[in-house]
Amino acid sequence: MKVIFTDVLVIGGGLAGLRMGIGAKRRGHEVIVLSLVPPKRSHSAAAQGGMQASLANVIKGQGDNEDVHFEDTVRGSDWGADQDVARMFANTAPKAVRELAAWGLPWSRVTPGDRQVIINSQKVTITERDEARGLVAQRDFGGTKKWRTCYVADGTGHAMLYTASDRAISEGVEVHERTEAIALIHDGKRCYGAVVRDLITGELRAYLAKATTIATGGAGKLYRVTTNAVICEGIGHAIALETGVAALGNMEAMQFHPTGIVPLGILVTEGCRGDGGLLRDVDGHRFMPDYEPEKKELASRDVVSRRMEEHIRKGKGVKSRFGEHLWLDITLLGRHHIEHNLREVKEICESFMGIDPAEKWIPVRPAHHYTMGGVRTNHTGESPHLKGLFAAGEAACWDMHGFNRLGGNSVAETVVAGMIVGEFIADFCDKQENHVDVPMKLVEGFMEREDAKLKALLNSKGTEKAFQLNEEMQEIMASSVGVFRNGEALKNCVEKLQDMLKRSRNIGLTSKIPGVNPELVAAYRTQKMLKLALTVAYGALQRTESRGAHFREDYPNRDDQQWLKRTLSFWRDENATLPELQYEALDVMKMELPPGWRGYGAKDYIDHSDTAKRQAEIDEIRKKMEDEGKDRFAIQDALMPFRDKLPENLRGLNERIDEPLNG
Amino acid sequence: MSNGQNNTASGGKTRQRTLTFHILRYNPQDPDSKPRMQSYQVEEAEGMTLFLALSEIREHQDPTLQYDFVCRAGICGSCSMVINGRPGLACRTLTQDLETDVTLAPLPVFELIGDLSVNTGKWMRGMSERLETWVHTKEEEVNLSKAESRMDPELAEQIYELDRCVECGSCVAACGTAQMRQDFVGAVGMNKIARFKLDPRDVRTDDDFYEVVGDDSGVFGCMSLLGCHDVCPKELPLQTQIAFLRRKMATIGC
Amino acid sequence: MSSETLIIQAGLSERSRKSRLPARLDLLQSLSGLFLALFMWGHMFFVASILLGKDAMWTITKFFEGYHFFGKAYPWLVSVVVAVVIAVFVVHAMLAVRKFPINYRQFRVFRAHAKSMRHGDTTLWMWQVYSGFAMFFLASAHLYQMLVWPQDIGPFGSGGRMWVDGLWPFYLVLLLLVEFHGSIGLYRLAVKWCWPNCSREFLKKLKWGITAFFLVLGLATLGAYMKIGYDYQENYKNGERYTPTWAQQAEESAK
Repeated sequence: MKVIFTDVLVIGGGLAGLRMGIGAKRRGHEVIVLSLVPPKRSHSAAAQGGMQASLANVIKGQGDNEDVHFEDTVRGSDWGADQDVARMFANTAPKAVRELAAWGLPWSRVTPGDRQVIINSQKVTITERDEARGLVAQRDFGGTKKWRTCYVADGTGHAMLYTASDRAISEGVEVHERTEAIALIHDGKRCYGAVVRDLITGELRAYLAKATTIATGGAGKLYRVTTNAVICEGIGHAIALETGVAALGNMEAMQFHPTGIVPLGILVTEGCRGDGGLLRDVDGHRFMPDYEPEKKELASRDVVSRRMEEHIRKGKGVKSRFGEHLWLDITLLGRHHIEHNLREVKEICESFMGIDPAEKWIPVRPAHHYTMGGVRTNHTGESPHLKGLFAAGEAACWDMHGFNRLGGNSVAETVVAGMIVGEFIADFCDKQENHVDVPMKLVEGFMEREDAKLKALLNSKGTEKAFQLNEEMQEIMASSVGVFRNGEALKNCVEKLQDMLKRSRNIGLTSKIPGVNPELVAAYRTQKMLKLALTVAYGALQRTESRGAHFREDYPNRDDQQWLKRTLSFWRDENATLPELQYEALDVMKMELPPGWRGYGAKDYIDHSDTAKRQAEIDEIRKKMEDEGKDRFAIQDALMPFRDKLPENLRGLNERIDEPLNG
Repeated sequence: MSNGQNNTASGGKTRQRTLTFHILRYNPQDPDSKPRMQSYQVEEAEGMTLFLALSEIREHQDPTLQYDFVCRAGICGSCSMVINGRPGLACRTLTQDLETDVTLAPLPVFELIGDLSVNTGKWMRGMSERLETWVHTKEEEVNLSKAESRMDPELAEQIYELDRCVECGSCVAACGTAQMRQDFVGAVGMNKIARFKLDPRDVRTDDDFYEVVGDDSGVFGCMSLLGCHDVCPKELPLQTQIAFLRRKMATIGC
Repeated sequence: MSSETLIIQAGLSERSRKSRLPARLDLLQSLSGLFLALFMWGHMFFVASILLGKDAMWTITKFFEGYHFFGKAYPWLVSVVVAVVIAVFVVHAMLAVRKFPINYRQFRVFRAHAKSMRHGDTTLWMWQVYSGFAMFFLASAHLYQMLVWPQDIGPFGSGGRMWVDGLWPFYLVLLLLVEFHGSIGLYRLAVKWCWPNCSREFLKKLKWGITAFFLVLGLATLGAYMKIGYDYQENYKNGERYTPTWAQQAEESAK
């Protein structure tokens, strides 16, 4: 048995994993990052448009601050977010941008003076301040009150990932590439590490650590058409679920991005609409203002996706051999803008569709994009159910996104959570009581169990084919747990998935070649993915309301009275075919921003019985303190103190042109 | 006003072709494996990329076939392989641009994992460690509360232009020198040095850069055959950058 | 022994400050190549003077032998120039050979690479290797001859060498090698140092233009020497040197 010891084991080499690894390493802990692929190939690279941080450098961002960012995030989440976490996040995001800037990230910068932009399809001249010269620039994104999205042309994720990865190399963070954690080692109370498969040789190794972190990104490959990379199969989610101890939160909250290109589902960035691009239907008509007069194309993603599907249902879609779609029109932005700020979009259009987006419209339709749910953690990033297990980034349900994530908040979360959770992990490892004597018998047991599972698959006489099962799963997820959901379809979907899960225990392989064996990989992953798919579908079936990206045609209203709570899925019995669901209520009385209308989307929702009371309380405190001349920080602190929840080095304020730091 | 009619997404036509893929197979993990060519036939579909074709082969014909795809959108650089003799990103290659017979082979120079899969990650990490491809700053700790330092917007754009490299390895595979010298840094490495040289946040001087690329495994090993420039999927200005670096480094040496 | 020697011997040179030598050698390779290529342009024009007549060629030859400065020809002056060229040639060859495939494995890999890539610049470099290798021998032979027997340069001497001594195939091959190697080399220099900073398409066109020009000039010149060699074979065999027309006339009028 090959065993590797370290202090911190990070599963996943994307932005969140790398940033956590850097944080823990800087605090003097040994770190090993496991990555399915070379870290620079992680799906973080695909984040094109940008990262939200309330720097308020550009004129259209003037007046922006943590408060506005916090509110946008909570509204975006349809009040599903953990507001403490959203606060911690909003306060740290500017710090993350500035840290990356110091590490060499080539953020696009502000040029003072007049420039022409497209706002609401009109050419508008705006004048950037001289004081902002050379500071990090922001662009507009959906669901935000201010221009807040910091960007590097349209390769933000790529540039961030390279900066973080190179920083990790400079700090000596060890990365074991092409390795896959296939099970967590734990005793029901504490996590000790993972059983890891080498994706070159097929060898199994045990990695043992004081702290184990899941940062494996999303689970888009549960769906047939997704903007996610091929590797986003949710295996990190699944191994946490398979402990039977840790819970996954809000798995039914899956985001669909309005502008996946047809038919491949490759993403074209929200920056297209942020910069002034329009959605048009079969008649060339710009339809979004008809539905969303306030935010139009720039309502939150769940709302825009829903409106698009709704419009297609009305017969306004463009018919093609790949089904119906709508158009994204960025021709009005002009060639220069497209070639400088949207060049990845241009490359994608040219390479995959052979069209020039400066001349022609882009065929788009909502595609699966983001997994809001994930390994449930508390604000430190640690699982409340399994000690020593942490999670961050898309794989986590830290819960700043609730039921809908805002564009630009995901890459932001990766680095922000990386910074915050990285510190907490280091704190955890510093504590004497967390130093462990790993019970080697337990480790051996897990290694033998996993080895036996793989051998059983290799030797199975089963008749089911992994690739085929996977395809079936993707089809039914896409058709039943998509933008629009209803009880009947979900019930049918859950039953089918249960059946598939049973069938997956009867997978047989046609090839038994030594080494990694792609068919074997597909087999064990499909078994895990089916469990995950069940948490999504079953969670969606049980949630009889509509919130954020989860939209039930049979329950079209948000129901705060019944459903202002987080779904927790457990898989306690290995032979079960359904997860066990529990619910964790969100306390309105502790919220800084009690539930209300989001400012876009549906206006009818069922209030929570505490909402009015809490709102009155807040109004009173705010009025009183404002009369006393208290600043926004003091008022915020009175409403919902969060600052002491942050690691000490991240508690500071954020300097802005209009908010200079004292001293 | 422009309109989007007659796009590939809406336009239908084209005759159905049967494509034949000739793939170089070898599994180093299998002691019985010998390098050989294997052929597969795939019915072409509209808008088919090599990603889709290879997935079809693995899922329906031969589950043992190894290859690497991650983003399948030309962003991550995982899937570079030798397509009809030249390195390129497979995910971004449309079959409609190829003849019916397509030859696929793994990238040379890099360690072979199996079939079309090579270990570019290991090579690139080695390159990064050797060239220290990160901004070298004076202060270790950044004051996170303070505003970021300013940078000229055009300079930021120029740096990003070079930062667009996806480390796919195409340039190394297309490089004559790299075929013969295993320790050659390749265009990817030289481009990185040019990028950090441009960056005012990096305190390294030309002398420091000379220490990492000032020899025959660095910029002076380059023979300017520019296979790199001609295959780069991101169309980086490698010719100009390498020449620029050569001039700077030659100046240091004289 | 110097500390440097000991450091190198101990295999620790990588650990100390990097040598400046590679930079100088790289520059020297380019400069020596540039010198040789420009020299060959000049050389081509000088030998092509035969196209303007035997007198023109004689005048140029005598010019290099210092006739116009000293009133008397000193062929060893040519030897001096040749010696300099040989020195540069040897330096260039030594530097360039560093880039050659050093064993069969490398050669085979590179050839397969060039074949697979079907890439102009890569293929051109293969030609550089082949032509460079061949010139080790052919150019050396020619240079040696010029070094030792500079006095044989002249309309009869040169023409005779082509025809009577039967060396025209040797010179034909050498001409092709030099013209291709030289112009490809100059093109490579422009690309390598990026000066002038223009497109490779343009540079390539320019390169082919130059090659064509010098080949035509070279072939015509070779033909002219062969004809003279044929017409004056007896003179050559008798060891006679060409007398320019004005001297012949002077001689005749003196008679």
